[in-house]
Amino acid sequence: MMKKILNNPEHYVDEMLEGLVAAHPEYYRLHGDGGKVVARAKPGKDGKVGIVTGGGSGHLPVFTGYVGTGLLDACAIGDVFSSPSAEQMADAIRVADSGAGVLRLYGNYGGDVMNFDMAGELVEFEDITCSTVLLADDVASAPPEEHEKRRGVAGMVYAFKMAGAAAEEGRDLEGVTAVAQKAADACRSIGAALSPCTVPQAGKPTFEIADDEMEMGMGIHGEPGVWRGKLQTADQIAGEMMDRLLADMPISSGDRVSVMVNSLGATPPEELYILYRTVKVRLEEAGATIVMPLVGRYATSMEMAGASFTLCKLDEELENLLQAPCDCAFWRVE
Amino acid sequence: MTITRDMLLAAIDRVAAAMERDFDMLNTADGALGDGDLGVTMSRGMRAISAMKDDLPDDIGMALFQCAQAFTKSSGSSYGTLMATGLMSAAKALRGAQSIDVASVPDLIAGARDKMQERGKADLGGKTVLDSLDYVSRATAEADTGDMVVAAAQAVDKALDDFRDRPATVGRARIFGEKSIGLDDPGMLAMRSVVKAATGQ
Repeated sequence: MMKKILNNPEHYVDEMLEGLVAAHPEYYRLHGDGGKVVARAKPGKDGKVGIVTGGGSGHLPVFTGYVGTGLLDACAIGDVFSSPSAEQMADAIRVADSGAGVLRLYGNYGGDVMNFDMAGELVEFEDITCSTVLLADDVASAPPEEHEKRRGVAGMVYAFKMAGAAAEEGRDLEGVTAVAQKAADACRSIGAALSPCTVPQAGKPTFEIADDEMEMGMGIHGEPGVWRGKLQTADQIAGEMMDRLLADMPISSGDRVSVMVNSLGATPPEELYILYRTVKVRLEEAGATIVMPLVGRYATSMEMAGASFTLCKLDEELENLLQAPCDCAFWRVE
Repeated sequence: MTITRDMLLAAIDRVAAAMERDFDMLNTADGALGDGDLGVTMSRGMRAISAMKDDLPDDIGMALFQCAQAFTKSSGSSYGTLMATGLMSAAKALRGAQSIDVASVPDLIAGARDKMQERGKADLGGKTVLDSLDYVSRATAEADTGDMVVAAAQAVDKALDDFRDRPATVGRARIFGEKSIGLDDPGMLAMRSVVKAATGQ
């Protein structure tokens, strides 16, 4: 049986957005007829490049939460784990545009790609120029030689932050797009899940897993991972996740990296900090300096238990953009 | 032979009814290989089209364009967007026409297939709705105009039969790999229902 705090599964997303905007009117407002486009309460400076994202609900703070100064301008949000429609995405692009063009920055999922492409065609008639950068950071979802097929996960938070800071600095569409692509290319992520989540409208868990099992490499919608087996210790789990990330993106002595230890929803901060110990040791063993580690709930999968790690290799430009100010209801850098 | 606006409206009624009838079947088939909402996508889209059916313009191209929009507005699902893409392709080809010449149907379907292939970044042979459309366009191209409806209906069945025991290599079902062998692709099942209802077979 589904055990969730809700009124009617059909109204889950609308009521969530209503509450989000009511709680944080200084950051967010709903835009358009459909009610599923969130824009900044105070629009960005005129002539600033707009940045939009979009995707299914169920991942807060991703996607909607990161609308804010130094981050995103607007977001189209779909039902839980479902792509928003092309029309909603077009609305998000329209509200984000202030004449300098709009970057579409989102995760690599077939439905979202199709709809954002279609949305781009719709706004082309209105002379809005768009560019696209896709996050494809989940190393478990395809081998390195097919990296463009990988799914986008928590790495998008780094890309939102860095591209958002570049847009706030006044860079043009080409410049903001280049930063977003560089940030996307610098990120690698992997997740491990202990228990599933339930999509309200489906009413049953996205997958089944025994009480004593875990799945390494599972996707944020319950996509199959690389292995399933007995639950391991925190140090073993963190060790294997770091092995897989470092195999995909080797770190050399002197490198500067940021790292995110992210809860998939149900896993508490206590357990994230237990994992972080191993992350720190492994990065320092490789000779890296850790910059601004992020430990907490940044990209979730409803009430799924588990964690993901994202490694972001920095150069001077990305590091400056990461540390530039930003402000939304879920994240502030001063 | 031509397809008139009235014939198009009657086909919309039949397809809408078929989507209500097949609601559970499509959700179940999709649940085995995807997120289980294909019946929802198709019935929502067809309900949106039915709701504005009487106001569709005489220009068949514009009418199909509005049908495509009904799909993009009612759903963000990939399949809905693919349906909209295919309809939009036919809409562009038919802009300004008051009816559809039956002889142009194979080309219209092939055009839709190509645009959908581009949108979905998928190859033929991957066990998707693209293969169904490919079968239909080729079967109708080979048939006399009078036999096209029968040829189309047979083609959607044949596509399902030919691909049933092959693995899905593109689309959502791809991640299930070998497990998709023996299972019908939900998108191909939906296209069978659409084609049979549209042709009255």
